[in-house]
Amino acid sequence: MHESQLRLLMFLQDLLFLQKEMQDFQVVEKYEEMGFPLDRKEKIEEAIREVTEQLDRDLYHRFQQLAKKYDRPMAPVKKGVCYGCFVAAPTGSKLITQHKDIIEFCNHCGRILYRTD
Amino acid sequence: MELKELFNASNVNLDLEAQGKDEVLLELINLLHLDEKAKEMLFKMLKKRENLGSTGIGKGFAIPHCRSLVVDKLNVAFARQRQGIDFNSIDDKPAHYFFLIVAPPVEISNYYLPVLGKVAQFCKISDITSRLDKLTKVEDFLKLLADSGS
Ligand SMILES: [Zn+2]
Repeated sequence: MHESQLRLLMFLQDLLFLQKEMQDFQVVEKYEEMGFPLDRKEKIEEAIREVTEQLDRDLYHRFQQLAKKYDRPMAPVKKGVCYGCFVAAPTGSKLITQHKDIIEFCNHCGRILYRTD
Repeated sequence: MELKELFNASNVNLDLEAQGKDEVLLELINLLHLDEKAKEMLFKMLKKRENLGSTGIGKGFAIPHCRSLVVDKLNVAFARQRQGIDFNSIDDKPAHYFFLIVAPPVEISNYYLPVLGKVAQFCKISDITSRLDKLTKVEDFLKLLADSGS
């Protein structure tokens, strides 16, 4: 099944968050204390590479630029508001009106928007 | 946040029919009542998480967990599978009891790790598996959580 670029980006973002967690010694220690072995942490790089290869180059570049600027280059849009900058998204947004898997950037902060509802 | 506040009839299944690890993950995800695309993404993410090290913590318990953009709040589920599933657990024993924990990457209340910790503690209670085996109704499970102080 062909996946939308937005879904791939969301997946990439999830993997990057997981990678960040795995690089945080204190968090890893917490997981291990709870009883979760993390003996194959390096597998995360492989997963990130797999997803990155499927992404449109320009889009990935833009994502990387945003990631340099923000902790969260992607932001959910809820009730028409970007939860990255808390400014309302434009009323003509297809993402909002049609709930499509399309790439839209926040007009105000530039983050890539997604919906969870 | 107490565990008993997070579970209810819609996210507990005491008679899981799944026969393999993937099926278990899919059935657990179903208990979160997300849309199809969110389910697919969550399944992929949980699989990637399992690749880093199994969440089968032994004694028949597995606690698959991850953070994902597809949810906007902490989501949990519990399921029991009588026959047992090979979940690559640390003690190589089949898993019967499954907790699923999913949270967004950023939560204002930051419940994810504390809840994961509470679930892991709950699984360590000495006679917990025999008590879980005896459950017949979801209400019994909720009562067990409450009685155990979870
Ligand atoms: Zn914004």
